[in-house]
Amino acid sequence: MLAMSGSSKDRITNLQAAVILVNYILAAGILTLPRTSVEKVKTPDVWITVIIGGLITMIAGVIIVKLSQRYPEKTFYQYSGEIVGKWIGGLLSILIIAYFFTISAYEVRTMAEVTGFFLLEGTPTWAIIMPFMWIGLYLIIGGITPLARLFEMIFPVTIIIFLLVAFLSLGIFEFNNLRPVLGLGVIPVLKGIKTTALAFLGTEVMLLLVAFMKRPEKAVKVVLIGVTVPMVFYVITVVMVIGALSIDGVTTRTWPTLELMRGFEIPGLIFERFESFLLVIWIMQIFTTFTITYYAAALGLSQLLKKDIQPFIYALLPVIYVIAMIPKNINDLFHMGDMVGNVALLLFAVLPLILLLISRLKKGGKA
Amino acid sequence: MKQNSDPEWFTGDFAIDLALVRNEIGHNSDVHFREFHIGGTDVCAAIIFVEGLTDRELIDKHIIKSLMMSFTGGAVSRDFITNRVLSIGEVAEEQALKSLVAKVLTGSTALLIDGLPNALVLGTTKEKSRQIEEPVSEATVRGPRLGFTETLCDNTALLRQHGENASLSFMKLQVGQRTKKELVIAYIKDIADPDLVEEVKKRIQNIKADDVPESGYVEQLIEDNYLSPFTQVQNTERPDRVFSALMDGRVAILLDGTPFALIVPVTFSMMLHSPEDYYERWLPSYLFRLLRYLAAAISLFGPSLYISFVSFHQGLIPTKLALSIMGTRDGVPFPAIIEALIMEVTIEILREAGLRLPKQIGPTIGIVGGLVIGEAAVQAGIVSPIMVIVVALTAISSFAIPQYSAGISLRLLRFPAMFSAAVFGLYGVVLFALFLCSHLVKLKSFGVPYVSPIIPDRLTNWTDFMIRMPLKKIKRRMKPISANGSTRKK
Repeated sequence: MLAMSGSSKDRITNLQAAVILVNYILAAGILTLPRTSVEKVKTPDVWITVIIGGLITMIAGVIIVKLSQRYPEKTFYQYSGEIVGKWIGGLLSILIIAYFFTISAYEVRTMAEVTGFFLLEGTPTWAIIMPFMWIGLYLIIGGITPLARLFEMIFPVTIIIFLLVAFLSLGIFEFNNLRPVLGLGVIPVLKGIKTTALAFLGTEVMLLLVAFMKRPEKAVKVVLIGVTVPMVFYVITVVMVIGALSIDGVTTRTWPTLELMRGFEIPGLIFERFESFLLVIWIMQIFTTFTITYYAAALGLSQLLKKDIQPFIYALLPVIYVIAMIPKNINDLFHMGDMVGNVALLLFAVLPLILLLISRLKKGGKA
Repeated sequence: MKQNSDPEWFTGDFAIDLALVRNEIGHNSDVHFREFHIGGTDVCAAIIFVEGLTDRELIDKHIIKSLMMSFTGGAVSRDFITNRVLSIGEVAEEQALKSLVAKVLTGSTALLIDGLPNALVLGTTKEKSRQIEEPVSEATVRGPRLGFTETLCDNTALLRQHGENASLSFMKLQVGQRTKKELVIAYIKDIADPDLVEEVKKRIQNIKADDVPESGYVEQLIEDNYLSPFTQVQNTERPDRVFSALMDGRVAILLDGTPFALIVPVTFSMMLHSPEDYYERWLPSYLFRLLRYLAAAISLFGPSLYISFVSFHQGLIPTKLALSIMGTRDGVPFPAIIEALIMEVTIEILREAGLRLPKQIGPTIGIVGGLVIGEAAVQAGIVSPIMVIVVALTAISSFAIPQYSAGISLRLLRFPAMFSAAVFGLYGVVLFALFLCSHLVKLKSFGVPYVSPIIPDRLTNWTDFMIRMPLKKIKRRMKPISANGSTRKK
């Protein structure tokens, strides 16, 4: 009957796919993007850079989708061999798997740093990380469907709380901090594109997700929606943060978005300070990013070796933990983030295009 | 006759057959044997019945009197007796001893007549039932005052009585391996998913238990995940609730001997719905429903949030409030978690005690307990007054949940949430919430995901979820449940 008797492959709706994409993209960036982008751009035009970054990501995402659509019901791990041969394909898959579990570790560690700093001073990092990872393990043992459903639960909560918090911070918003628009021309805007584009990392999950979709032919729309929503989030974030803290204030703060929340109090409400709300949804967002990358890595290993996924899920847990514990301090961590970002740029902006061209030339896949 | 030698079958010889029955159930004090001669003839006959289960007046007037007095000639044949003599609605023939005995023990009367090969079974059952009363466990202000009783046929009748619906189907099954009990699966033929009905039937047939005393047994033996703290089967005493569930394509299970019917599948949000939601106008219903979601959240996270704010993040609450909380906590010798545990456990004990006490003493316990908790504990400096408020609010919230068993789950889960908050503060609460959600998204009730309409993948599913739209707008059944998800109104 109902899914219980059939062992048919898990399927997700297109809406779920879009929600997964949004949740994946929204992660550490909400807290750091204002700083990282302003450091590069140095003018208040960051929001333009964010939009351009989003558009570029969309293009990359569409390329990835076009590639995946040529091989219906197959993930990248399964079809890469068909395009460039078993060995190179396997190598690419391993690279991507490594990327996924590294980013997974990166997200966990970032979460631990922020939580340790704002909520649990003095609590050792391992104690923060471990229960978080166990819960992630518990979730993804169930496969992609529970994952998608949990994301669906977290998504509306995120939107509501985020908009509420952003709206409340209007009180200290200074429009002058955002002017002049394009005062120094277009060049500074372009300097930050790489940074903002990296904040949108996440479309690479479409390499796998298209294979799970009930209606993969609509995957392009999924990418467009899935990138637009975080783009709106990011634009609101940078506009509000820069508007409140000014560009000079942004660069001196490690977590400018949280500082913004600390910067105002609304007397009379039960909670005068709202950073706890933002932290709660942010931890949930990190959880979604962590689980989907964790799952993507485990899925890759299982499909590459053609074995059951469960042992890989368990085996990856200590690996991710060890990687998460490698950075000694927060600067190390940000350095690691930059490194992963550069790899991602190569892997997911350039590679899919090349593969798509090869695939077309070889007339591989589904015409 | 072919079964002559087999002691399980009747021989047609009156003396032997009677001895056979006597041998089987004659030792029981409540089984009565009455032997007599039919009319003016010399033909021997005997009736066997169980005292108390049977209607004595019916037996005296319509069986014994008819056979002894109104028998006005003619041959003693089966047709003649059943068609002309016995003025009784239900007459059946029985060849095998075992099934005859089974029927006698459930209230039928057996009639053995010399010369007839088979025994006759006459329906003389007198149901021991109580009056139909208002359900105690699910009181509503508005709505029918009917509740199920312990008698299965009364309950099915209540459903039939709800309105004429030719598609309303009852499938009768037996459960219990030693003590057989009747169980009815009720569904609407052209709405319910046939696969669902089949699955329910299969799971019930798989029940291996000697005896099934209450529908709670059935519930626990057919649920999907027995490790989960959440109930995956809804129970109710209200026929209107069952009927509206049936109209949504769900399946109800009625067990003989209990007023509690089971409904499957169930989703988490259904636990927070009450039939009254549809009887009142939509605006208050909508607000009350939201209020119940809030109550569920408070009963789950109330104390843990308090603990995390007081023990970890005083900075996150307004300074004045933080100061006043700290002021009241001044002199309390325990950390917040211990304080909360003391109060929570006290309240749970009070609740448990109040449940078992006779109705006359119950309120007394409430007053005494309330005084002890509210006044004395605070004055003695064991707990702070704010803690009392938090705990009381939490307890009341958990009773605001219409489904008693769902309220229990939430009350139970409050404790791990508190421990988690005591270790990790707000982060711990978030972790616990994530864990709970991870569990909920994996949970299924008869193939239907437990947290079904989460975000409006179909807007129509949201017309009746957290919000309750005007009835005119609720047009569709919930998609994941009804296979024939046709519109409600045709």
